[in-house]
Amino acid sequence: MKLRLTYILLLLLCSLSACHRGYYMQKQSSNIYAIDKAVNADSSMADMITPYKQNMQQAMEQVIGTNDTMLTKGQPESSLGNFLADAQLDAAKKADAGVIASVANYGGIRLPYITAGPITIGKMYELMPFDNTIVILDVPGNVMLEFCNHIANLGGWPVSGIRFAIKDKQAIDIEIGNAPLDTGKTYKIAVNDYMAGGGDKCSFLKTLKPKPVNVFVRDALIAYVRQQQTLRASLAKRIYYAQ
Amino acid sequence: MHSRRDFIKKAGIGAALAAAGGFPYESFAGERLRKLTILHTNDVHSRLEAFPDDGGKLAGLGGVAARASLIKKIRSEEEHVLLLDAGDMWQGTPYFNLYKGEPETKAMSAMGYDACTMGNHDFDAGIEGFARQGVHRDFSVVISNYDFNDTPLEGKTHRYKIVKKGGLRIGIFGLGVELDGLVSEIAYGNTKYLDPLPVARDISERLKKKENCDLVICLSHLGYDYTTNKVSDKIIAKETEYVDLIIGGHTHTFLDRPEVVANKKGEKIIINQVGWGGVKLGRIDFEFSHKKSSKFFNAQSVIAAKQTIG
Repeated sequence: MKLRLTYILLLLLCSLSACHRGYYMQKQSSNIYAIDKAVNADSSMADMITPYKQNMQQAMEQVIGTNDTMLTKGQPESSLGNFLADAQLDAAKKADAGVIASVANYGGIRLPYITAGPITIGKMYELMPFDNTIVILDVPGNVMLEFCNHIANLGGWPVSGIRFAIKDKQAIDIEIGNAPLDTGKTYKIAVNDYMAGGGDKCSFLKTLKPKPVNVFVRDALIAYVRQQQTLRASLAKRIYYAQ
Repeated sequence: MHSRRDFIKKAGIGAALAAAGGFPYESFAGERLRKLTILHTNDVHSRLEAFPDDGGKLAGLGGVAARASLIKKIRSEEEHVLLLDAGDMWQGTPYFNLYKGEPETKAMSAMGYDACTMGNHDFDAGIEGFARQGVHRDFSVVISNYDFNDTPLEGKTHRYKIVKKGGLRIGIFGLGVELDGLVSEIAYGNTKYLDPLPVARDISERLKKKENCDLVICLSHLGYDYTTNKVSDKIIAKETEYVDLIIGGHTHTFLDRPEVVANKKGEKIIINQVGWGGVKLGRIDFEFSHKKSSKFFNAQSVIAAKQTIG
């Protein structure tokens, strides 16, 4: 009883001074649940999302321009790849007028073609579902040479402001911004953040400090289509096989 | 749920004395267990709907409607639930591009999230954009190593937060990844990034010693582990003394079970992370009593009760 009174007094003291009697962990267990189809959807949450979903679907159907002929994905150069690289260069130049060229990784093009006709926002999401952003790199000439050889070795990637021939899986006759590659110079090149981080075996870019451009590649595509209004497929021997 | 302490405060001393006769003895004997259930997500990336049935690895998984019902079910079974998110709530579906975080924030509020920290992609609508969703946010933003003075988020986030549940005091703090090179300067503006490790040491010690927290949780968007010496959850765990649990994110790591690692004092603490896209919900249950335990649990007691997809 005496002990009990002591506890009560202690408790009262605690409640008055708002002190906290510590707890100590005794047991621990864990679980990682998969949120799969076995979990029934909560209807009030689904209802909350529905109007957003409907509006989004409408937004995706919005037409932003037209395409006069079919754009296709291919190597060493392709009309769809050129559109992508041109749009990326255009967006990067708006952030930094000194940007001279752009390169996109071939695997980043997620549609085999875009048919002639109206272009919707949803189509740009299909083409570029990833949230990659555009970054600007100061690429030393010797790294630029390595970069071009990498592209040549992989059969050609989308480029804008760059021209070269592929011979024995190497890049020859390289021009950057209409001038022969000078390994003593440094070039401002627009790429996506995935490549800048070493993605698609671009490990040679990892040591360069990327300057972020606050623009998604996808948003650059949308802006470019809006600006051009009509896309015209073009092939200009940006990357070609040496005869 | 009112704790006994709250009750006594309200009822006054006389009532407390009258009620004292009825006190269950075990509440003082230090043996009654108090259970806390922590549920957590990270890197949900605006995945309001389940992944489409396109044959992909995550096809059909996730979605806020399913998550909400799972959380409701757990809440119906457990009295004291804490629901947390470790950042990158935003960016990844057209929902974000169109609505700038509004449905994501509303959904989290409806599910009863207690707190989140900020990931790098939570800056994707700019600091102002994140602040703007505050009207829909019924949970705390806890971030300890971003200084938001002179930004639209000034005074709208917490360096740490103390939550009281079932008589327990739970301290929560948050760590964000370095923004330079990852987030555009235009987006983060005047935000100052502070080195996470000293911040973690300082705040966790304060929560444990000065604020008398029974449990200290670090919500981290630093990333699980790196091959370089870049600061990560593993490093925070090893180099601090007062963190009990790290809920991580950023690296989209699907852990099969929570990782148990030794802290600076050699005590075992837990790191957990549940991939990304809201395809999983992490759960950690702790049971506490007043009985002193030199080490609160051992590695063998960590059970992944239900192993699911990797």
